[in-house]
Amino acid sequence: MASEKQKVPALPDLFDWAEDGVRIRSAKCNSCGTYFFPEYHAQHRPGCSREGVEKVLLNNKGKLASYTIQYYMCPPPFKTAGNITPYGIGLVEFPEGIQVAGLITETDLKTLKTGQKMETTTYTLYQDEQGRDVVTWAFRAAK
Amino acid sequence: MRQVSIVGVGLHPWGKFVDKTFVELGTVAVANALKDANVEWKEIQTICSGIYIYGGNAGHLSGQYLESVFGETGIPVVNVYNACATGSSALRLAYMSIASGQVDTALAVGVDISPEGFLSAKSDNPRQDRDVLRWRMTGMPNPVYWAIECRKRMEKYGSTDEDLARVKVVLSQYGVKNPNARYKKVYTLEQVLNSQMVCDPLRLFEICATSDGAAAIVLSASDKVIKKAYKPVTIAATTMGSAIYGDPTLRISALSAPAKAEAPLLSESYSASQQAYKQAGIGPEDVDVLELPDNSSWHYLQYLETCRFCGEGEAEKMLRDGDTQIGGKVVVCPSGGFSSFGEAIGAQALWQVIEASMQLRGQCGERQVPDVKVAMAQTYGLMGNSGTTILKI
Repeated sequence: MASEKQKVPALPDLFDWAEDGVRIRSAKCNSCGTYFFPEYHAQHRPGCSREGVEKVLLNNKGKLASYTIQYYMCPPPFKTAGNITPYGIGLVEFPEGIQVAGLITETDLKTLKTGQKMETTTYTLYQDEQGRDVVTWAFRAAK
Repeated sequence: MRQVSIVGVGLHPWGKFVDKTFVELGTVAVANALKDANVEWKEIQTICSGIYIYGGNAGHLSGQYLESVFGETGIPVVNVYNACATGSSALRLAYMSIASGQVDTALAVGVDISPEGFLSAKSDNPRQDRDVLRWRMTGMPNPVYWAIECRKRMEKYGSTDEDLARVKVVLSQYGVKNPNARYKKVYTLEQVLNSQMVCDPLRLFEICATSDGAAAIVLSASDKVIKKAYKPVTIAATTMGSAIYGDPTLRISALSAPAKAEAPLLSESYSASQQAYKQAGIGPEDVDVLELPDNSSWHYLQYLETCRFCGEGEAEKMLRDGDTQIGGKVVVCPSGGFSSFGEAIGAQALWQVIEASMQLRGQCGERQVPDVKVAMAQTYGLMGNSGTTILKI
């Protein structure tokens, strides 16, 4: 690829992208073993000392635990370049033991099946004034 | 703890009232409740009011605004918010104020004017309000959450599109008989199945609308007040529950859930209902009428299990067999449910308690269930909020 257009996350600290793919940012509590998403939204087990919370990147592959196909456009503050309906939203279960929800980028939504392998990717919501792609995390069928 | 009775109930009918203020709606409900209770305004010793979140500072001080209409008396006025269980919170607080002996007579009130269409985020700080995240990053209005849970259920227990549609068919037959309902039209299975898909597998008629409405309840432990009331209803329990760690539900506003369940689905509602059974000293088998929060057809089915009216995966059979209708095990939402009313966040939990009270008092006309001795109202609010009220006559 010659020059990939610059992309920026719509909101910070939720996901990263690197050579090995897009990864959801999470935090793991080493005291109670719970994974959080977003990393700054703590959800400890009652009685946990809350010590030793570390930032981690989730595996970039998981399985589809459930999904829906949305036929009405979500109102603001959801911002996209245009009407993207119908769009898929999936709940993906990662090996760490946490399920994360996000947009599904498949074009043929009718082929979705729970249990199928998914991978994390990015989805361009719109372009900002500098022409950069403003992206969110999303899921697609694993290659 | 003293025994507390509901001595008067009042509603402003549900609908869309673009030209009215929340104070105008609330005034109608409070005036109706006072009249029904045969109680003077000066006899009210505390007001527990549901916060109207879309109403700015005034909405957050709804109790003060309503008090001023009827005349300020210096009594404690407290405003509470627990999402769609806000009314449960107002009722519980009014109940506790009386049961503890602080006051003898209290008013619980809730009003809501919903914004058009889907309910949306109310702040813009993603680090402290995860509601912002789900709207901006994933485009997930509330019904998406219900659809995701609904699909899980369909795959686990084999619920069908017809089961989901049947919920609306059953509820519409009650709604048409309720003068306070917003939607008064009977639907057939075919009509529901032909309604537009909103978020697969949920169709338009399988998801509740957002409405405007107001509900008010006068509670008392005063012999004098109870004596002049028409058929006072005893509050056997009014409880609230929050979520339990390890609940596998993808809760509204959350973007994650644990993969391994360590608590029941809808654990906040499980908790509230279990506490209520314990407080009332009864079980689900003793309940004649159940007003449950049918935000979608999925809720109707799931709540039968969550509140232990049937075992896991048995709700569809209960529905198909007519066991949720008059003559069955428990009559579910003879009001017509949210399906016929629509949600009005701050008011709906109190409305459910009013419908349950009216069934106990035999005031429900064509939708009246015969011989109601015990009625239960169950709520559901986002971020793990639930209230259960059990009433007896």
